[in-house]
Amino acid sequence: MNAAAPGFLVALETSELGALIRQSAWIYPTANITHVVAIVLFAGAIAVMDVRLMGGMAGSDPARVVRGARRAAVLALIIVLLSGAVLFTAEASHVALNGIFQLKMALIAFGIVHAFFVGNRAVRALDALGPQAPMPGFARFAGALSMLTWLGVVGLGRYIAYN
Amino acid sequence: MLKRLALAAGLLALWPALLHAHHGWGSYDAKNPITVTGKILTSVYENPHATITVQGADKVWTVTLAPTSRMRNRGALPELVAVGTEISAYGYPSTADPGEMRAERITAGGKTIEMR
Repeated sequence: MNAAAPGFLVALETSELGALIRQSAWIYPTANITHVVAIVLFAGAIAVMDVRLMGGMAGSDPARVVRGARRAAVLALIIVLLSGAVLFTAEASHVALNGIFQLKMALIAFGIVHAFFVGNRAVRALDALGPQAPMPGFARFAGALSMLTWLGVVGLGRYIAYN
Repeated sequence: MLKRLALAAGLLALWPALLHAHHGWGSYDAKNPITVTGKILTSVYENPHATITVQGADKVWTVTLAPTSRMRNRGALPELVAVGTEISAYGYPSTADPGEMRAERITAGGKTIEMR
């Protein structure tokens, strides 16, 4: 426990739930494995969505591909967030003070906001487009930014352990 | 625009250095290994890493061990790192916390067990 962390994080870590996660032989490893597997699923869905937004897989119907991939990404992200919350609870006061973790959380917040506002706009614009239609500039930009953001999140996530 | 982007990138790159670094694998000084020998004062057998404090010759060290399932697999059961046990821990001092070290291997109860 790191007493320098905000009180509610110290309380979270020292809670019975926090102790249960740490003391169980399987909860922490299971949450860790689930986190990584869900990230793989999330990354796959994000890649399909963003590549289509950037103009790749041009023979496909852009609106259908992007909407389908988006649903899969949201579902995977929910699993990522839930398993991540378990990992966080076990070490809340330590990890919250880690600069890389803070950067990762900021980037996740940005990624979700970006997907919600910019992404929504890009997706709506696709309805008018068929296969082979060139992608509008902001759709390409949204796809590239989304990809960069989430790749950054994954990279930072792994780097937390080395900071 | 380009200038602003460069500034933002620079700030992002600096951020980790600006903030207090805490726990982690990269924050141990592998070039200067140490051996802490003494009695175990406290023992917490929990994930993600078991942790003990040891009364070393110079001071009390917090010694970070391994995940509990790995410790069990290798025979480092909770009894082996119980309070009061004489232990010798070879490892690397933290560059962030002067009282902490990460054990590469421990010797206790006549057994030497790798932690990595």
